[in-house]
Amino acid sequence: MANAVQPSCARCMRSVDVTRLGPVQTGSELRLGLRNLYVLPTRFGALWLAGAALLQMVGIQTQRNGPLLLSFLMLALMLLALHLTHFNLQGLELQSTEPRPGFADEPLRYPLQLRSDCRREAICLQLENGEPLQPQRLDRGITRVGLSWNCSRRGLQRPGPVLIRSTAPLGLFLCWSRWQPSWEQAVIPARRQGPVGSAGADQPERSLAEQRIGAREGSEHWHDLRPHRPQDSQARLAWKALAQGRGRLSKVFRDEETETVVLAPEPGVTHERALQHLSAAIWQLSQRGERYGLRLADTLIPPGHGREHRDRCLLALALTS
Amino acid sequence: MALPSRRLQWLAQAVLIAGCVGLDPGWLLGGFTLALVLMAGLKLLEARDRTGRRLVALLQLVGCGLLAAQQPDLLPSLVQLLAAVLSLAGLLQLESGQRLAWRVLLRRSVQVLTAALPIALVLFLLVPRVSPLGSGLNGPGARASTGLSDSLDPGSIATLASNQGPAARVAFSNNRPPPPQERYWRVLVHPIFNGNTWERDPRAETRRPPEPVPAPASLQGRDQIWLVEPSRFTAVPWNGQSLPVDPSLRVEADGELRLLRPALERRSYRLLEQPQPQEWQRQPPSWGDLALPAESNPRLLALGRSWAALPDMSARVMAARAFFQSQGFRYTTTPGTLPERNGLDVFLFERRLGFCGHYASAFSALMRAAGVPSRVVSGYLGGSWIEPFNGSSYLELRQSNAHAWSEVWLPGVGWQRVDPTRWVSGASAADEQRTAGLDAAGWPLARQFRWLQRQWWGLDMGWSRWWLGFDRSRQEELLQWLLGERRWALGWLMLAAVAACLGAALLLLRLQKREPRDRLERELRALLQALEQLKITTEPGDTLESLTERAASAFPALAEPLAELAALHRAQRYAPGGASAQRGRGYRQRWQLALQQVKRHRINAISHGSGSNR
Repeated sequence: MANAVQPSCARCMRSVDVTRLGPVQTGSELRLGLRNLYVLPTRFGALWLAGAALLQMVGIQTQRNGPLLLSFLMLALMLLALHLTHFNLQGLELQSTEPRPGFADEPLRYPLQLRSDCRREAICLQLENGEPLQPQRLDRGITRVGLSWNCSRRGLQRPGPVLIRSTAPLGLFLCWSRWQPSWEQAVIPARRQGPVGSAGADQPERSLAEQRIGAREGSEHWHDLRPHRPQDSQARLAWKALAQGRGRLSKVFRDEETETVVLAPEPGVTHERALQHLSAAIWQLSQRGERYGLRLADTLIPPGHGREHRDRCLLALALTS
Repeated sequence: MALPSRRLQWLAQAVLIAGCVGLDPGWLLGGFTLALVLMAGLKLLEARDRTGRRLVALLQLVGCGLLAAQQPDLLPSLVQLLAAVLSLAGLLQLESGQRLAWRVLLRRSVQVLTAALPIALVLFLLVPRVSPLGSGLNGPGARASTGLSDSLDPGSIATLASNQGPAARVAFSNNRPPPPQERYWRVLVHPIFNGNTWERDPRAETRRPPEPVPAPASLQGRDQIWLVEPSRFTAVPWNGQSLPVDPSLRVEADGELRLLRPALERRSYRLLEQPQPQEWQRQPPSWGDLALPAESNPRLLALGRSWAALPDMSARVMAARAFFQSQGFRYTTTPGTLPERNGLDVFLFERRLGFCGHYASAFSALMRAAGVPSRVVSGYLGGSWIEPFNGSSYLELRQSNAHAWSEVWLPGVGWQRVDPTRWVSGASAADEQRTAGLDAAGWPLARQFRWLQRQWWGLDMGWSRWWLGFDRSRQEELLQWLLGERRWALGWLMLAAVAACLGAALLLLRLQKREPRDRLERELRALLQALEQLKITTEPGDTLESLTERAASAFPALAEPLAELAALHRAQRYAPGGASAQRGRGYRQRWQLALQQVKRHRINAISHGSGSNR
């Protein structure tokens, strides 16, 4: 059913632009209330009203109580739905949290925290330049969601306003609000394969494939087994080998050691394109667990490895001038 | 068990289709309803997105309303109600965007309906009713099953079979039936006589009905609620002495009451009994009411013409009465057929055996020969008064109650009913025999079924009396009672009542939404509220223990009760066998005591604060 709903939401968004009405709220958090929520009947609401009018007419013409009561019931439901749809959003608190960096031209995830004091039905959230989330139920308490959006420019970017809307419980009214969260999201240059340079103009350019790999004992990768010694940690005991009756053996680990390279923008390539090549290269090196550094016009990051190092390098690419 | 909204909508569609059984597609509204229900089904088949499915729910709801306009009886109303609830539940589930369990969905639907119903009732009761605009939705459909016939030719009937099928039921507002001698329910008028057969006007079903006469708002009189089985005619039974309340009811100049709804369907209507003669009774006769074929039944003509010398028309009627009473006529349901030529002569002067049709036919012909305008009327006579255990008492008319009598026009009086069958021996006994025969007839199972049927009809009648009873005149009575002459206040009254109902409904719905179902959660919320009063609020990642510790460090005096509350809650929440296992161990008293200490501390803090301010 959810699959059926999403295209409908998107189509609704395209065809009905009423949600662009009303000012965009700003701030690091937003509490939805009378001053920032807007309500209008949906197209279905207008049809509903027409249905009630038809029944009213039939009731008058036939002087029957059944259609008259049903038409009044439909009107009463509409009156009730106006408030219930508003209540479905009223009192909800939205808070943006620091977003993690993401790559340009790839879906970015913008985190939001919703605090609700009651159960709420079918809440739709969407960034104005992003894909809508499936309508979801919010229980009492805090709910964290990630809104998807796309950006082609690197740097600190702010997504468009968040659109929060709901038509629950009967789909007769659309209640919405727009909010511009204060957090900016770091957008890393898009990952694009291409040549990258190495630091130092006097060093000949080398391909990354030519890196020589060495190794030393460490804790990263499993390498071998050796007889267990009393001073060895129990954590390194090869329990599987023990279970197989091969005696007490200890696992030996090695850390890979690569020849370090300091990456730099490729000369002769436009700056932005060179940054995109670097973005792809850093991602690949990091995936392979190799050591690398980064030199940019205004930044030098010494060689290192691991996730934090990778993120530091990528962030530098995003923020470099 | 969760039910996808599509299946729920199919269920609503099936119920709606079941509710369409008995509709007349030939009538404008019936055809429109069937088309709408068909469209809803096709749309449901085709719809793949929410917009389409919403439309299905709306079409189904409108379909229910259209059905309610045509079938207001108890069983159809229950079917329509079920279809409406199901389609609303389907819409609620569709909009919730998830599969809800039956129980949850049912609860939610009932909550929404219960919240909306008072507002709808206020509008239903107070919004002034409007008269119908034209007669666009009215249209006769002259088809269907048996009952009375538009031609009366008793001479062609050898044996009158007793048909025990139901014909109609009527309930009275004071729960008392009219006396037996007044239980004549006229339906068809037969003014055209060809020597053997009395015919109804062939244009009676197709002629343009008279314009409705707007009923005065403050009508007085006893209510009659009629439920009539399908028949071939738009003419329906009545006593000829009532005012129709329904605008679809029209009284023709000859005294037929026509209900401009499809005759194929079961029909219901309301009448108000009136003591004074009605307009149709005062209508002057036409030449047709004296027309008699000159070449047939010469002896009948001679007898009638012999009475024409009497100066007073009433005297001619009395002469006929004396004739029937003195000539040894007997009532029988097996008279044998009469010859096609001069059949009434054979009946009157040779056999003297017949049933109501023979007597009405012969008497009316005699009156015409005597120069008294007359005609034959067919309808029902009598009926069984049924008092079911539940519901409303009613008079039951079966097809075996069908009867024919005459009407003569007397100067200064108008059309008067004369039943010549009453003058002959054996008629009353035959009536009693028919009624008793119905109750005793059949297998025991059939009698039990009849008993059950009568109980159900009692409920049906009770519902119809209540449901059909509230019309413009009743609304007028209600408004008179509520406002008297202050009609200007109606708008304000309506607005206030709607606002009050809306406020109450929203308050209840919000409370239900906010109020946790879990008892422990309710208690926890009470504690959190008490702490909030002390400016101790929850923070992300807080546990109850960390919160109470923080509160205890801010208010050391509360350390003990707060620790007790945290421990009690933990013990309850994670107690083996659930919270109820701990119920009997004084849990509630301990919790209440500790909570009161926290609350009391707040009150003390406020009073000390205000004291220092002073």
